[in-house]
Amino acid sequence: MRHTYKMTPVQILLKLLSWLFLLFMAMLIVLPILWTCLSAFRPPKMIIQFPPTYFPRAWVMDNFIDVFKRIPILLYVKNTFLFAIVTTVVSLLFNAMAGYAFARVQFKGKNVIFTILMASMMIPFQVIMLPLFMELHFLGLVDTFAGLVVPRFAGVVGIFFMRSFYTTLPKQLEEAGRLDGLTEFGIFFRIMMPLCKSALVTQAVLSFTGAWNDLLWPLLMTNSPDKRMLSNGIVYFVGQSTTNYGPAFAAGLISIVPLLLIFIFGQKYFVNSIVSSGMKE
Amino acid sequence: MKKILQYWNKPNHAAYLMVAPAVIVVCLFSIFPMIAAFFLSLFDVSTNLATWNFVGLGNFQEAFADERFIHSWAVTGLFTVFDVPINIGFSLLVAALVSGVGIRDKILRSCYILPLICSSTVIGIMWKLFLNPNVGWGIYSLSKLGFPRIAIFSDIDLAVYGIIFISIWRGFGMSAMILVAAMQGISTSLYEAATLDGANKWQQFRHVTLPGISSTLWFLLITRIIGSFQVFDLIYTITNGGPAHSTETVVSYIYSRAFQEGSELGYSTAMSLVLFGAILLVSVFLYGRMILQERRDGGN
Repeated sequence: MRHTYKMTPVQILLKLLSWLFLLFMAMLIVLPILWTCLSAFRPPKMIIQFPPTYFPRAWVMDNFIDVFKRIPILLYVKNTFLFAIVTTVVSLLFNAMAGYAFARVQFKGKNVIFTILMASMMIPFQVIMLPLFMELHFLGLVDTFAGLVVPRFAGVVGIFFMRSFYTTLPKQLEEAGRLDGLTEFGIFFRIMMPLCKSALVTQAVLSFTGAWNDLLWPLLMTNSPDKRMLSNGIVYFVGQSTTNYGPAFAAGLISIVPLLLIFIFGQKYFVNSIVSSGMKE
Repeated sequence: MKKILQYWNKPNHAAYLMVAPAVIVVCLFSIFPMIAAFFLSLFDVSTNLATWNFVGLGNFQEAFADERFIHSWAVTGLFTVFDVPINIGFSLLVAALVSGVGIRDKILRSCYILPLICSSTVIGIMWKLFLNPNVGWGIYSLSKLGFPRIAIFSDIDLAVYGIIFISIWRGFGMSAMILVAAMQGISTSLYEAATLDGANKWQQFRHVTLPGISSTLWFLLITRIIGSFQVFDLIYTITNGGPAHSTETVVSYIYSRAFQEGSELGYSTAMSLVLFGAILLVSVFLYGRMILQERRDGGN
């Protein structure tokens, strides 16, 4: 791959354009997020002022103090973390297993089951929200941790996603595993799971952030104040007509930071896993 | 005991054990409530669930004569037509440019998926203030560059494009990350072979990368279209359907009829089922095309 050759002017121009494009996109993403984070440290009165500045003229903690006074935010962080980690770990296992079977094993009724699953992916959550709530209420699971997490133990999008990764792997893998005397589950856990590390990490990130930021589901499934979650906490500062921007930004920042940390550590693993699993046949 | 183990170790038997947990969860908590929804749609249900009046298909008739419902479809269609192609186009372009393992690609990739860590509530308040015509830094900077200072989210014509922009802003990085993961799964020997054959960068992309990620592209296309048909949370946190219903999508309208303007659970469920039918049609069509293509590619 590594040939040294002179670039033509067209290639130089293309390279420059791609750099500019990538940089522009990065600015577009980072500028509003950073501005919001900085705004959390502005004195409440200076958030709404003209002309606006990018960096705060004064740095204060008033907004954070306000948040801690008005809602038990640390408890919300703990609740949200538990919800996100449990649903992510279990759903990752269940989805990968099902995705693998659908992608690579022939079994009776496979297409029927898969089509039914696909159909359920098309159901907007709002359609089943009310009947699901009634069902869980009937099972006595509303306002319990089990009721919150068990319905999230598998997701059709996740199954579909894992399936699309497993279909791309070379066909000889299972046969090699069987020759080595591995059981079917052995093949899955020893060969297939490690090979799809990058897909698994991608899905873990999606699942965890999805659970972390879910608004409607925790709102529906929790009644007691001590079971509420972060996104509900932020909504507390957002009224229909007026928004308390200062504390809302501060609470928003508190909700972003743990994800950002996981993200920074995950990124290292994310890249490593991609390099080490660089599937050579 | 040994026999049982042997029985379940057959690939076509073990497969049932592998799909069982996921299938049971989906059946219990998605498909069963879905069937229950069919019954719910045939009734006029009062707020406290005390009275159930059987109206048959009356709710559906009402929906197709409901101008607000028809209009919400137009908004959803507009959203889908812009959001899906731009999202996938941008993410494909970005993924192709930053799929390497170097430090630059690593940093850029982290940037693009940053919106993922913000909840829709945070994104909502962020953009509402960032683009506020009086105190928002975003609009202020644009006005310095010569753009007019407009209140995007209170403009009947522009609000929906504002939402589309934010949706793409939030989503393209995630799509790009999925595509990058797929691109890095392609065996490097294929690229080496292509280089030996004298293929240039574009030909490599066209004949190695694209076929290698086609199942992932199908995944993105199908899930993005379904997601667009169901778009709700950004609208809920930014405009709540306004101004004058100009950003009211199908799910926004369903939600408001179910929870904000009197709880007409039966009618709302009936409208959700119409939405479900539409999504089903589109997905079955796309899914069929996907299977066709996978068969064709499997042949060579």
